[in-house]
Amino acid sequence: MTFRTWCIAGCLVLVGFIGIFESGATDVFLEATRPDFQKIPLGVIGIQNSGGPEWLGGRIEEVLKADIRRSLVFSLVDLPSIGIKVRDVGTGPHPVFKQAKENGVSVLVWGKAGAKEGDKDADVSMDGFVYDGESDEIVGGKRYVGSSSVVRLMAHRFADELVFRYTGEPGIARTKIAYVSEQGTARELFVMDYDGYEPRQLTSDGFLNLMPRWSPDRRFLVFTAYRNRNTQDIDMIELATGKRWTIVSLPGLNITPALSPDGNFLAFASSHEGNSELYKLDTRTKAMQRMTTHASGDLSPSWAPSGRELVFASDRSGGPQVFLMSADGTNVRRLTFEGDYNAAPAWSPRGNWIAYVCRTPRKEYKLCLITPDGQKRVQLTAGPGVEDSPSWSPDGRHLVFSSTVDGKSQIYMINADGKDLERVTFTGTHNSAPAWSPAS
Amino acid sequence: MRATLSQWSIPMLAGLLLVTMPGCSKKSVQSGGDTQSSQSGMAKGAPGAGGPGGPTSGGVSSNFPDTSLAGRDGSGGLSGLDKNPGAERVNGGTMTAKLDPSQSGRQMDEIRSEQAAADAAGLRDVFFAFDSFVISEEGRQSLSRDAEWIKSNTGSQLRIEGHCDERGTSAYNLVLGEKRAKAARNYLVELGVSANRLSVVSYGKERPFCRDHNESCYAQNRRGHVIVKSGK
Repeated sequence: MTFRTWCIAGCLVLVGFIGIFESGATDVFLEATRPDFQKIPLGVIGIQNSGGPEWLGGRIEEVLKADIRRSLVFSLVDLPSIGIKVRDVGTGPHPVFKQAKENGVSVLVWGKAGAKEGDKDADVSMDGFVYDGESDEIVGGKRYVGSSSVVRLMAHRFADELVFRYTGEPGIARTKIAYVSEQGTARELFVMDYDGYEPRQLTSDGFLNLMPRWSPDRRFLVFTAYRNRNTQDIDMIELATGKRWTIVSLPGLNITPALSPDGNFLAFASSHEGNSELYKLDTRTKAMQRMTTHASGDLSPSWAPSGRELVFASDRSGGPQVFLMSADGTNVRRLTFEGDYNAAPAWSPRGNWIAYVCRTPRKEYKLCLITPDGQKRVQLTAGPGVEDSPSWSPDGRHLVFSSTVDGKSQIYMINADGKDLERVTFTGTHNSAPAWSPAS
Repeated sequence: MRATLSQWSIPMLAGLLLVTMPGCSKKSVQSGGDTQSSQSGMAKGAPGAGGPGGPTSGGVSSNFPDTSLAGRDGSGGLSGLDKNPGAERVNGGTMTAKLDPSQSGRQMDEIRSEQAAADAAGLRDVFFAFDSFVISEEGRQSLSRDAEWIKSNTGSQLRIEGHCDERGTSAYNLVLGEKRAKAARNYLVELGVSANRLSVVSYGKERPFCRDHNESCYAQNRRGHVIVKSGK
């Protein structure tokens, strides 16, 4: 596996161009959750090897540190820079605890990892421990066992436990990203870990499988599919088994499905009554309700986390613009007024922002954010490259999207404040349409 | 719905099997790949368990599993830090899907034979301006020639594919592609081609003819592509 730095070389080009342009408001950096949230300083002493493959402890430590950084809950402290050079504190307590506390480090993490020598199929184990400066005690730890193929998952799981311990929320280190990857001339669905590792192919029908969206329980994807070259449908696939079936096959286009946060409704666009309109299918009664009535195209519905409203794209004002409506199809109102092309809206799971693709005055397709009341608008990315398909992390702190900034379309991650742009996919001829899973 | 009964019976049977299986309540951590928590369990309705009789009419499937989060406690399957932690087994997730690449090859063969038939017939495509589905004078000339061929080859069925360049969103380009394909179809019908010989489909920006990021490439990708359908 290739070692990836935290977005240093490849992304610098784009980061260099990133400007935050605001209309109205003055605060440049958005806190995706609470404005008063202070990151918790956390130091990783080390994950020591106690037998097993040489790379083991280092691999876990590397994955854990990256997860901690991306959590945006902790700030990762460079311990050697505050004079803590110890790499192993056994089972603690240890004099460096006091030293860390005096230097403002609230949490220390360390551990060990190992496997039985000489048996490459032996289970790997990982022990992790947590010292909390506030209570001045070792608050506990975790012990994981599993095959050597799941060491990244052990680190992800430990990172999520840390986030859970300090925020009460499960963290995003075990989330997944579904996406579309070009295979020859076909586009097939894949799913990978949120950090780009462990990609798995889900479909292999040799044609077009597009724009996946997760079910709230993470067991299924709904997506835009082509049963054959002549007929286009909405399909569902079960991740555990790969079983796939058609759920909407009306004449014409059937695209951009999105399950409501409670899983009880499927919103989608269909052109079976002439032009593309939005419909809502009750997944229990199978009753279908038409939500929009307009001679122009309506598409790309995305649910508010409350399930009471949807945001969608429509070209009823000429070029595509972003609109809001109540879940019963009433109270339709235009949200975006800046620029002549705004589309692919995605409502944050926190509810406070809607991300979308905006065309700039220089005709570049970039990411923008707008508040649901339309009061605040921010352009999140800038520079060359066509951006598409923003999708929020379940914690509302990150977005994943596709961009052609490096030539071929690849998948990138960015914080909701425009910082920490990170390329997530590195191989293949075309990766697009990322969809971030709900938290587990 | 055009799916056959046998296509539907497999997920249904599998669904029944899953529902009747004893619950897997052993402490087992499906870390990272955990597509289900122990709370949601398997009994909540695998595909096929939701509907009594497979697909319904009206283009909407009755086969819709319960994907709601009812019964979840929000812990994300985490058990918290422990002063004396017991060993938790980490599994590589539940994704065991086996891919069947046989379909993939069949599609490629059919695409090639359809393209060859269109080339042999000398069919011409119609090209569009940026973000437009208006047929130009040049496009009308191309479609007029196509109409002559179609009218003199009465046994043929045709498909008009709407294509777009890479700019703009995938979703919006699918809608735009359909408008382009329908514009081309409508003009052919005006020229006297029977509408039931023409089908339309949009591929948006997903099957580009040219892959560079410049206007000459974009111009090639904004088209209504006229194809002679093979058999099915």
